Amino acid sequence: MIEILRNMWRRKFRTFLTIVGIVVGIFAFTVMGSMALKLNKMIDGGKKYITGQITIMPKGTDFATGQMSGMLPVDTLNNIAKIDGIEAVEGSVSLAVNEPNPDEPVSISMSTPPTINSLDTSSNFKNKNWETLDMKEGKLINKDSADNDISIGSTVALDKNWKVNDKVKIREKEFNVVGILDKTMTGPDSYVFMKLPVAREMYIDSNPFLKSLKDRAAEASNISDVELAKLSPETRNQIIQAKTFNVEDVSTMGAVSWKNGADPEVIVAKIKNQFKDQVVVLSPKKMGEQIDKASATMNAIIYGAAMLALIVGIFSITNTMVMSISERTKEIGIKKALGASGRSIALEYTLEAGVISFFGGLLGMGLGALAIIIINSKMASKGAEIFLLSPNFLAGVVVFSFVIGIIAGIIPAIRASKMKVVDAIREL
Amino acid sequence: MQNEIKSALGGNKTIIKATGLKKTYKMSKTNIVEALKGIDLEVNEGDFSAIVGPSGCGKSTLMHILGLLDKPNEGTLIIDGDDMSKINEKKAHKIRAKKIGFIFQGFNLIPSLTAIENVMLAGKYGGMKAKVRKERAKELLTLVGLTDRINHKPNELSGGQQQRVAIARALMNNPAVILADEPTGELDSKTSLEIIEMLKKLNKENNQTFLIVTHNTEVADACKNRIKLKDGLND
Repeated sequence: MIEILRNMWRRKFRTFLTIVGIVVGIFAFTVMGSMALKLNKMIDGGKKYITGQITIMPKGTDFATGQMSGMLPVDTLNNIAKIDGIEAVEGSVSLAVNEPNPDEPVSISMSTPPTINSLDTSSNFKNKNWETLDMKEGKLINKDSADNDISIGSTVALDKNWKVNDKVKIREKEFNVVGILDKTMTGPDSYVFMKLPVAREMYIDSNPFLKSLKDRAAEASNISDVELAKLSPETRNQIIQAKTFNVEDVSTMGAVSWKNGADPEVIVAKIKNQFKDQVVVLSPKKMGEQIDKASATMNAIIYGAAMLALIVGIFSITNTMVMSISERTKEIGIKKALGASGRSIALEYTLEAGVISFFGGLLGMGLGALAIIIINSKMASKGAEIFLLSPNFLAGVVVFSFVIGIIAGIIPAIRASKMKVVDAIREL
Repeated sequence: MQNEIKSALGGNKTIIKATGLKKTYKMSKTNIVEALKGIDLEVNEGDFSAIVGPSGCGKSTLMHILGLLDKPNEGTLIIDGDDMSKINEKKAHKIRAKKIGFIFQGFNLIPSLTAIENVMLAGKYGGMKAKVRKERAKELLTLVGLTDRINHKPNELSGGQQQRVAIARALMNNPAVILADEPTGELDSKTSLEIIEMLKKLNKENNQTFLIVTHNTEVADACKNRIKLKDGLND
């Protein structure tokens, strides 16, 4: 080992250049790998959630644009609940915490934007994979909570600097923070949980069409049957239609849980069969597969880019070792003349390549980790870290770089070991 | 004196016995060089022999074959009882390490290692444990008169001092024979004499066997036996 370090020191400049090549490759691998870890954690959480329930969307939902009609009739949900094997059905509403800014209609973020998510505290629905939400502080809203009580995710708490017992405003309405969730590294970190009726009202108020329907329904409810009969047929029809508007029909999504032992895919088929004109059903299995596909593609892109940088590093080491061995032909000849076996020569040069790569890997990993810590600390105030720093991953990166060095050095080392002694010493 | 008595009593072990050694080099399809055309040679324990001959007669080729650095195309070679025709490269390195010591014309020390580290390297390949290697290396460097130079690198030593380190290295594993290829080739006459005297002393006091390739008549004269080569054959 001392001789290896000495040989590296003898050729300082070349060793430095080779190590720089590895540093760059491993730096890229560390940073992009940590980004992939964070994204995978988020995606895993989403997958866990989506595969733990059968999701129902209103008919007419455009998945490409995310446009929803916002109407999922409660009667439809109640009828769905009668299907054999279903445990519970729940309607829910979600909307952005912040009102859209017309000056900044599009924003790009690595994490979920702050979102209001309703909780139907009267329902016994539970997501199969996510039955409870752990609390860092305070409590999750329940049926005994006041209407304006909210429980918030850790990212929301950090971003808005909200604490338990704070009185806060969301879309001009005042709320009371009763709990902060534990960090989940996925969706719930960005959620504000409030009771379903309250969330519904906020959703209606945010949607001009629904708001006008609601207002007209309120007006229509004040018109008596006698007054209604006096109106023209056209107006009468409009008012009758307005009266049919039911606030409880406003849901952006429905969720279905199944009884233990029931097959969710069979239930999906039944819902599709009976309610295909009314709802869109998302199969947990198919959703899981879609997520896996997207995740695999994303990982391939991220890791593929990092691997490219590493391949450059590998060639850098191989080049260095080939040149080094060529220059040390005489030394190899002497050692073989003294009795060194081909195996010991191969081992010596392979190890040297591994050690060079190890040092490059250590430095590259260190710089990568430092960059991650700096960037994450800047994003932490908003709870929107981009990277996941995992000690196991970092240790693995260093070991990986050592292995890469071994692989890069093995061919030149084997060539050195097979060098004929008489040819090597002719250089003497 | 001891060697002559031993020889007279027929008590000398044969260290090297070569019969009919041939070596050809194929430079191209039409250019084939016959470096050795059938050499016979015998070296006994305690011999202090020289291989002499004009330039290009095959001395170095013969030395390479005897040192197992190259293989003959024909002929037999027995070193300290082992038939080299039955040994492949995987085992040849062990015999090189333990039974053969080398001294080269250009000293050929590893530049990045100190004198003691160069000597210890031979012990490493000879299978010596680290602590034993260090002690033995110190002992040998003292024997060759370099006690105060053990931690110097080759570029900090004179030519004669470097060759003495090479001698110590060659002695490290108590080899059956030391092969020296023009050991004084790069030294001035005074230093050459010192080196030859050292080798003679080692031969006399330790009964170390030497086979020296030289074209230097003074060196050849110092040797007890001469093996003459001419055009790849015994002369």
